[in-house]
Amino acid sequence: MFKFIPYVLKSLWRHRARTLLTVSGTAVALLVFCFIGAVQQGLLALTSGGDAGRTLIVFQENRFCPQSSRLPQDYAGDIKKMPGVVDVVPIKVFTNNCRASLDSIVFQGMEPEKIKAWRDFDLQSGDWSSFSGQDDAALVGADVAARRNLSVGDKFTIGDVTVVVRGVFQSPTAADNNLIFTQLEFLQRARGASDVGTVTQLEVHLNDTADPEALAKQIDQTFHAGPVGTTTRTKGMFQADTLADLAELIGFVHWLGYACVGLVLSLVATTTVMAVQDRIKEHAVLQTLGLRPLRVFGLVLTESLLLSTLGGICGVLGSVLLLSMSGMSIAAEGVTIAFEPSLNLAIQGVLVAVLVGVLAGIAPGWQASRTEIVTALRHA
Amino acid sequence: MPLVEVINVSKEYANGEETIRPLDEVSLNVNEGDYVSLMGASGSGKSTLLNLIAGIDQATSGEIVVADTDITKLARGKLADWRAAHIGYVFQTHNLIPVLTAYENVEMPLLLLPMSASERRKRVEIAMEAVDLTSRASHYPRQMSGGQEQRVGIARAIVSNPTVVVADEPTGSLDDKTTEQILSLLSRINEELGMTLLMVTHDSEAGQRAKRQIRLERGRLMENGKETTSAHLRTA
Repeated sequence: MFKFIPYVLKSLWRHRARTLLTVSGTAVALLVFCFIGAVQQGLLALTSGGDAGRTLIVFQENRFCPQSSRLPQDYAGDIKKMPGVVDVVPIKVFTNNCRASLDSIVFQGMEPEKIKAWRDFDLQSGDWSSFSGQDDAALVGADVAARRNLSVGDKFTIGDVTVVVRGVFQSPTAADNNLIFTQLEFLQRARGASDVGTVTQLEVHLNDTADPEALAKQIDQTFHAGPVGTTTRTKGMFQADTLADLAELIGFVHWLGYACVGLVLSLVATTTVMAVQDRIKEHAVLQTLGLRPLRVFGLVLTESLLLSTLGGICGVLGSVLLLSMSGMSIAAEGVTIAFEPSLNLAIQGVLVAVLVGVLAGIAPGWQASRTEIVTALRHA
Repeated sequence: MPLVEVINVSKEYANGEETIRPLDEVSLNVNEGDYVSLMGASGSGKSTLLNLIAGIDQATSGEIVVADTDITKLARGKLADWRAAHIGYVFQTHNLIPVLTAYENVEMPLLLLPMSASERRKRVEIAMEAVDLTSRASHYPRQMSGGQEQRVGIARAIVSNPTVVVADEPTGSLDDKTTEQILSLLSRINEELGMTLLMVTHDSEAGQRAKRQIRLERGRLMENGKETTSAHLRTA
């Protein structure tokens, strides 16, 4: 079959306008497919990541937007004494937009040693000591830095908060690359004295033997009668609840991904059918020369496969480039979903393109292989 | 032993409610090295008979034995393999693959045979030389005249050294001068390469160039004024 590849390629090149239109249509559809996949993957990473089930988030009861949750910071000391708790991280969250937005800026104020202990990232530029030694210093996630064109030494203001960039970091947790870390005390004071001594949430790290659900219940019961009631959930559940509306939308959008696959199928199949109908006589000539019907079927299938796979590879590469260069994300209520490209998604995209190419070629290939030679030779 | 034996072959097809029978129990023997022209009026069934012998059409009844193989009994796939090995077909309208160069068109039948690339190259060069088109090897069909295209078609038909070369109105779409060139080329192929040749033509002058002339009249084959029945063939 490989001996006939030049013939197949030349046949595709003969109708290059049609070929290029089909390839570009397939590429766009696969780009959308991968983009949707990346959004879903980002959501999945938030709700089912490694620490999603072993870390608890304590939030103020019946509060949703981070601005409205004000827990006493000293709750952290009480929680830390509970059996099964390894550490408690008080976090002050500030965001410029509590609604779903593609350009939300989310500040997380944390004590520097807690950032070092519980956040996994590498500093791409800047240094740790200038961050920990300066009150209004900020460590900026690589995606925010790229989106806002920030670099070390820049000063920028969002709302009431003005910080100086002292480092740009890259985290293996894609969502973290959309965060800005500041010192806890700075963020507590930034919006007025009333926030001093309060935090938005407490991040509770558990040991391997602790039962997260039981501990969450215990925390909520402990503070039920206190000045501020709490709602404690695993990190995964907290993020899923916070993003519930978005998750529903993303769940719906994944049907668009399937629609893209359907679109590619019909596009490639239409092109292949047209190619076969244009070449009824040519296929009859090939059969006269001795090509088996199965081989003619294979030639048509190869054409369809090449069209779809080429378009698929272009679309997948386009989506990977777009996603990795734009650092896009969507945030709601201080929780960020990063649109992360991955090798797994790229492979999945190419495999979908290959499968669609095969499926799209079956009917036209069958039609070409069943050609009655004598009838087809009379074809104009 | 004849190379091609057509024994009591009939061909019928439906045209609406009417059944058309262009061939009615015809029989024919072709020996190795023969050059046979099949002549007859339009619709007499001469191309149908040629297509049956070439294995691209199915007889309604009868047997066609070529080089000891009864091709009427072969399935589609096997028949395709058989065609690749035994038949060289020259079309009236050349039917070259437009996206391939002259060289690649001639090479195409060889891609189906077990053969090394160097052997393929050698055979294509010989075939191109035989039709005197070596200088046009890299040209596409659209860059050639009708006569040159037909010569490439002939080179493609002979390149695999087939058992039988069949030509369906090979000069039907050519001018007089080119017709003469093509007929001379076919004669040379028969005489110098010893290839067995079956040519359908409606042009009696072209038919006269063949060693044997057979006419198809009302579904029957006539040679030298006599019908070539199977009984006649057996006693011949």
